[in-house]
Amino acid sequence: MTAAPPLELTHFQAFLLFAVVISVAFGFLGRRRPKDRVKYILWSLFLFLLVGIGVGWAMFPFSR
Amino acid sequence: MDEPSQIPATDGVHSTPATNATPVPGESRAVAFGIAAWLLPGLGHALQKMWGRALVVFFAVGLLVYAGASMRGNVFTRQGSDAFDTLGYIADLGAGSFYLFARAIETGGADVSHADGDYGTRLLATAGVLNLLAALHAYEAARGHKA
Repeated sequence: MTAAPPLELTHFQAFLLFAVVISVAFGFLGRRRPKDRVKYILWSLFLFLLVGIGVGWAMFPFSR
Repeated sequence: MDEPSQIPATDGVHSTPATNATPVPGESRAVAFGIAAWLLPGLGHALQKMWGRALVVFFAVGLLVYAGASMRGNVFTRQGSDAFDTLGYIADLGAGSFYLFARAIETGGADVSHADGDYGTRLLATAGVLNLLAALHAYEAARGHKA
């Protein structure tokens, strides 16, 4: 099989990819009705971003 | 008027008393669905005609594996040097057949000296753990538990 083309993402892009994919998967697995799924996906994505960016900023004083 | 002495079982899952040691009908079917879901992400749900969940699991695990391997993440093997390698191997194996796909497309080997490779390693492990969760979900759904 041929090698996959190299993928170069920024930190934020990789983080966003992770958050979106996991949120969608959790939404579909955890909820049955479409409306509930959308709400769950958006809420989960928001919390992923909030916690990820929050932890990133919390580590900023120790980064140098 | 006669009342039924027992609540009739709807799917055969709860038709035997809890003290009976014989396996409940449908349990082996549920295990088979769980194993199928692990081997090919989404298959366990597809066999139960849960098409939306099947597609989402297939593409979510596939995308994570493809991105992780393209970012030159570490696809762990049996020959791990420490406990973390072993844990990584177990997590990667969770992706089932997609583990072999990751190894096939990452012909250049891992490169975790850059952030991309490190992220790739995490995405590969996430794909495996997510697929294990989906396989457990398919197993529970086949047992008749609300999902």
